[in-house]
Amino acid sequence: MATPVIETRNIQKSFGDNKVLKGISMKVMPKEVIAIIGASGSGKSTFLRCMNRLNEPDGGDILFEGHSIMGKDIDIDLVRSQMTMVFQSFNLFMHLSAKRNISLPLRQVKKLKKEEADRLAMEALDKVGLTDKADAYPGEMSGGQQQRVAIARAFAMHPKVLLFDEPTSALDPQLIGEVLEVMKKLADMGMTMVVVTHEISFARDVADHVIFIDQGLILEEGPPKEMLINPKNERTRQFLKRVLQEENLPPLPQ
Amino acid sequence: MIIIVFIVMLEASVNAKYANVFLNATIETIKISIFSIAMGFAIGVVVGLGRISNNFLIKGISTVYVEILRGTPLIIQIFIIYFGTPQFGIQFDAFTAGTLALGLNSGAYQAEIIRGGIQSIPKGQMEAARSSGMSYLQAMRHVILPQGFRLIIPPITNEYVTVIKDSSLAYSIGAFEVTYWSLKIIAYDFQPFTTFLFAALIYFTLTFSTSTIMNMVERKFRIPGYMGAE
Repeated sequence: MATPVIETRNIQKSFGDNKVLKGISMKVMPKEVIAIIGASGSGKSTFLRCMNRLNEPDGGDILFEGHSIMGKDIDIDLVRSQMTMVFQSFNLFMHLSAKRNISLPLRQVKKLKKEEADRLAMEALDKVGLTDKADAYPGEMSGGQQQRVAIARAFAMHPKVLLFDEPTSALDPQLIGEVLEVMKKLADMGMTMVVVTHEISFARDVADHVIFIDQGLILEEGPPKEMLINPKNERTRQFLKRVLQEENLPPLPQ
Repeated sequence: MIIIVFIVMLEASVNAKYANVFLNATIETIKISIFSIAMGFAIGVVVGLGRISNNFLIKGISTVYVEILRGTPLIIQIFIIYFGTPQFGIQFDAFTAGTLALGLNSGAYQAEIIRGGIQSIPKGQMEAARSSGMSYLQAMRHVILPQGFRLIIPPITNEYVTVIKDSSLAYSIGAFEVTYWSLKIIAYDFQPFTTFLFAALIYFTLTFSTSTIMNMVERKFRIPGYMGAE
């Protein structure tokens, strides 16, 4: 069996007295798309941010391609450059054009020459359909465009896995589609992805595996067809029902 | 407007014979100002970063520095450096002592401005940089500081104007700058009104040029579609 790209073992995390993660273990296999769903405050974003140690877990272990990344002698920058992240609020570098947003990490982290970094940046922009915005600044783009540039920035690094932290939650409804489309394209290209999301339809259509986190624990997981359509757990069922109502979507077909 | 022109002409005629003195005094004022602003900026970057350091000791030292230098009168600081240090066998000339005191003092203010600038950059910028594999220093240098630098231009312009005006305090230890020579000239001529007005005009020319230049810098480095840009 192949080595998981990411494996978490019993991850725990508290903020003050608030125990957000109570021991989460999971595996991300190569080329797998994992959707993590759950209510606000369930700890799903914190869990994702623990994977690249943007939030430092209090307990448990994280393995990247079979090696623990929790040790002191780990070059966490190197690890992070191979599991890049897309954020809810895009977090594009506000003082740089779209192209330079993508080329900056390529030059700083991968130490590429300017021409090479620019070429890869343009390639990445092409994949998200934004070559015409290469010289635009984040403040001059729509939210959907900014997020597509952010996704281009993340995958231009050629990471082993892409982490998405609620990538569409800050977007106007009419802009969500273009971002999901790009993500779907990446999934089709065989990109390994972990996606924290509220988009149940995306989880259903794109994910190979869905994880439902509730109160800091994995309550239920499985293939989307089972998980989302016939959830075993009552809380999962309630959550799905509520989310689908909020999104004004019809119940998922049996 | 006409009144101003009239006053300037009047003063120019009164002070014409001292043109050379005022020129040298102005150069001295400019030198004190530029050196202390530059020194204050260097201190400001170090102490400002120190103020947001996670290292308890560095943070503590930086905070104490800011509080003391900001919380005591500049003129006392000038006196301590000029009159106080000889007790320990160190004697600075007036120019050096004045510049040192002003620079150290301005360093505290610039540190606070720089700290504020860095801290007003949204946390997501650092997170995005770190999550792509950039080190803390790379993120600081290429993401946080370039943005912070743009934000601090207006408040730091204020500080530079203040330093130029405060350089006049160096007259008290006998630095040969504009205020010092104004007093000397008045002692010869007894024309306090026009002479002081002329001194004020010199300071204003310097401060107004500074703020004009800084406005140009701000415009040149504005980020399209972002904070303060059209």
